[in-house]
Amino acid sequence: MATDDSNAAGFGEVSRVRGIAFEYLSLGASVAGLVALGVLLVYVAIDAFDLANASPEWLLTYFLTLVVPFLLFCLYSAGDPAVTRRVAGVLGGGLVVVAAAFAAIEAFVVTIPRLSWQLAYLFVVVAPTTAYLAYVGSRGRVGAVGFGLLGRLVGGVAIGLAVGTLFLVFDELVWFLAYTLGVLPAAALYAYGSRRAANRAVTAAIPVGLVGLVAAVFLRGVVGTYPSDLIIYLWTLAVPIAAVGAFLVDARGSRVGAAVVGGVPLALATAGGFLAGSVGLPGPTTLIVIALTGVPTAVYVHRVIDGGDGVVGLGLPLLIGGGVLVGALVVEAWGVPAPDPWLDPGYVTEAPSRTAAEAGLYPAIVGSVIIIALVAVLSFVLGVGTSVFLEEYTAGSGVVGSLTRLLQINIANLAAIPSVVYGLLGLGLFANLLGFGYGTAVTASLTLSLLILPITIISAQEAIRSVPDDLRRGSDAMGATRWQTTKNVVLPEAFPGILTGTILALGRAIGETAPLIMIGAATTVFSAPTSLFSRFSAMPMQIYAWAGFPQADFRYGVVAAGVITLLIILVGMNGTAILLRNRAERGN
Amino acid sequence: MAPSQNLEAEGITRRRSLAALAGAGALALAGCTQSSGDGGSGGDGSGDGSGDGGDSLSGSINIAGSSTVFPLMSAVMEDFAEEHPGIDPTISSTGSGGGFSNYFCVGETDFNNASRPIQPEEEQLCADNGVEYIELIAATDALTVVVNPEADWIDSLTVEELATIWESDAVETWDEVRNEFPNEEIERYGAADTSGTYDYFIESVLGERGHTSDYQATEQDNNIATGVAGSEYAIGYFGFAYYFQNPDQLKALGIDSGDGPVEPSLETASNGEYTPLSRPLFTYPSMESLGNEHVAEFARYFVEQTTNEDLVAGDVGYVPATEETQEEQSQKLEDAIEQAQG
Repeated sequence: MATDDSNAAGFGEVSRVRGIAFEYLSLGASVAGLVALGVLLVYVAIDAFDLANASPEWLLTYFLTLVVPFLLFCLYSAGDPAVTRRVAGVLGGGLVVVAAAFAAIEAFVVTIPRLSWQLAYLFVVVAPTTAYLAYVGSRGRVGAVGFGLLGRLVGGVAIGLAVGTLFLVFDELVWFLAYTLGVLPAAALYAYGSRRAANRAVTAAIPVGLVGLVAAVFLRGVVGTYPSDLIIYLWTLAVPIAAVGAFLVDARGSRVGAAVVGGVPLALATAGGFLAGSVGLPGPTTLIVIALTGVPTAVYVHRVIDGGDGVVGLGLPLLIGGGVLVGALVVEAWGVPAPDPWLDPGYVTEAPSRTAAEAGLYPAIVGSVIIIALVAVLSFVLGVGTSVFLEEYTAGSGVVGSLTRLLQINIANLAAIPSVVYGLLGLGLFANLLGFGYGTAVTASLTLSLLILPITIISAQEAIRSVPDDLRRGSDAMGATRWQTTKNVVLPEAFPGILTGTILALGRAIGETAPLIMIGAATTVFSAPTSLFSRFSAMPMQIYAWAGFPQADFRYGVVAAGVITLLIILVGMNGTAILLRNRAERGN
Repeated sequence: MAPSQNLEAEGITRRRSLAALAGAGALALAGCTQSSGDGGSGGDGSGDGSGDGGDSLSGSINIAGSSTVFPLMSAVMEDFAEEHPGIDPTISSTGSGGGFSNYFCVGETDFNNASRPIQPEEEQLCADNGVEYIELIAATDALTVVVNPEADWIDSLTVEELATIWESDAVETWDEVRNEFPNEEIERYGAADTSGTYDYFIESVLGERGHTSDYQATEQDNNIATGVAGSEYAIGYFGFAYYFQNPDQLKALGIDSGDGPVEPSLETASNGEYTPLSRPLFTYPSMESLGNEHVAEFARYFVEQTTNEDLVAGDVGYVPATEETQEEQSQKLEDAIEQAQG
């Protein structure tokens, strides 16, 4: 024993207890936050979709018609017996464990409010398993095709709705003139120039476009007669999208395919636009949604069928759609008691109301989308501009260097200023001094842009700084000017990082309430904003107002539905940005 | 890269197809056109009431002020906006005082809601900015004193007992309020000092004695309700609407102002038995705004709706105005409109 002791002392043995304890503490810390947030979201979802009143039969019906086929599809795509065994084990074992644990907690500890063991099983076992399987399945060719198609459908609808929403505020007649006189000629020149290697055409594209835009703004006041809205959207959005789709297919050598890919969605969009108008739906938005969904989908389907690999995957949207339909039929046929969700089509298309059942979020959704679109543009331009200047153009030493450092410190400090202060700034500067008006969309977007500007600048700077200096030197050595180096080397390399920072900042901006209250944004409006200078309400404002209503239905159901809507829009926005980023990363 | 000959061939077809598209577009253009007014469809929103089905009323109406009146005002506005699609209303819940000083008295809003009459310094501010206004009674509220439903030892309080609980030099335990009450510490939940409810409570119950600072102050009725529901020895006060919508969650106390305890209800508040805690709620339209026809029309509609029992009492939870009050308000409003539109 004595020798052992001296040996241990000699080698200086270190206890691993502290290390292990630290490891598990870190694990606990990371899990605690996530679990708390997860539980909150589960309860919000239960409230928003009225799942507390969902009968077990209803849950079982949709589990069998929707979830099980989806899982089977993913398993088929993964094609790995080990995964199949594992998933079967987890789903089966989880059922027993959750049911037993749930019963035990209910019996011995506390009753769990508004949660049945079936729901707990869905949230704790089925949802993570489905997410895992979707991930595994998407790595197989069939799954990739299925998710690719599904993504284009969902993404097309989302972007179409967003574009349609923006045209509620922006003057589509100016857009019509600008497109016809500026965008189209410029694009045509550019395309012609790059195809025929005619540099002069490419160079001329930008001036021609600018002249066209200026002419459009000027002519807007002069020209009195315009095509109808549907024709405008058809001409400025649907036709170009279809033409690009057709061109992409054409480039792969399929003339007939190109005609079909371009023509069918175009025809559908036109028909949809006119039909929607006659049944009371907004025609232009329908047209835009069909065009934006149809063309990419058609291009994708053509590419998959052309490639001949994983064609089965194209059935995924049908599988899901069919599952929903069959589920609804079964529920209808057997009279299964179904929940009555707060978050239903009426909620996102109607105005607020004094009764919880009729309350809707539509004006606030439009307000938020418009503000956030403007904020995205403003903060991206200002943020990237500032960071490029600070990183690429300023000297590191001398008086300019000191000034830069001063600027740098101030920007870092600005990021820590409470948002209420920015609200005051917006009120004083934009609303009062510059006269953009109390509580208008312009004032709100400018204020929120300033609010997130420091975050955008700092993250963009980080991204630009992480571009290796060798690349810049290499570009310099080729005789490139600083502008050429920035444009061709630095910005493309830094783009994914810049986007990540902007996404995070925008996520903060869409949820802000305090600055909006300060600039006098309305709590409740009954119609969507019609111009950038009209008063608006944003989702967090309306949700907060509802949370103070005396009726319990408002405080739980309607507020929960609002939170879920806000989250869906946020996730959609981030998803778009993440897709762009991934594409840019792959491009590098 | 495809061979260049291929490109040539494709170029021609594309040019042809473009020409075809342009031709189709031109035909379509000739077919469906619209003529634009000066504002355009994305323009300033006021002025051209196109597509409103012959309704001539259009324009924006901006309202701010008391969070107590907010539910009532939005309920009335909801119906008005439905009848007149050209109207573009906005309502903000800013608190009575915040609405006056930040928006109304600087001429930014058309109406300001208040759960107490306008105060002298606010009158001064409005006068300095040349904002004239009239006062309209929106409804009657019964300030409700609530305790935990488990507290079966208490059913009512006299005004004097209420004052000993809430005055600035307040008692510590329940048995100091009345001997037979338990010897337990009082937990207080009340309105924050920015709220009109706080001002009214001081004015009607406490007077010179001031409001205690030893309480949980909040603008949200929900927080008061949650606090009181959490402890058997808690007490709180807020507007009647919350209690009206959630009668089982809390117990409302009867208030004895000398003629025996009276419980708050729509009836006792409207016939004047529930004193001194029933209070009028106001809205203040500005004279300049009443000069606009759509604002005047809304003000008329609002006064008309103040007697609507389903809306004021049923949906929101306040006491509707009597026919007599309505008559008076209506007369006052018509005089003001006449003067404004003169």
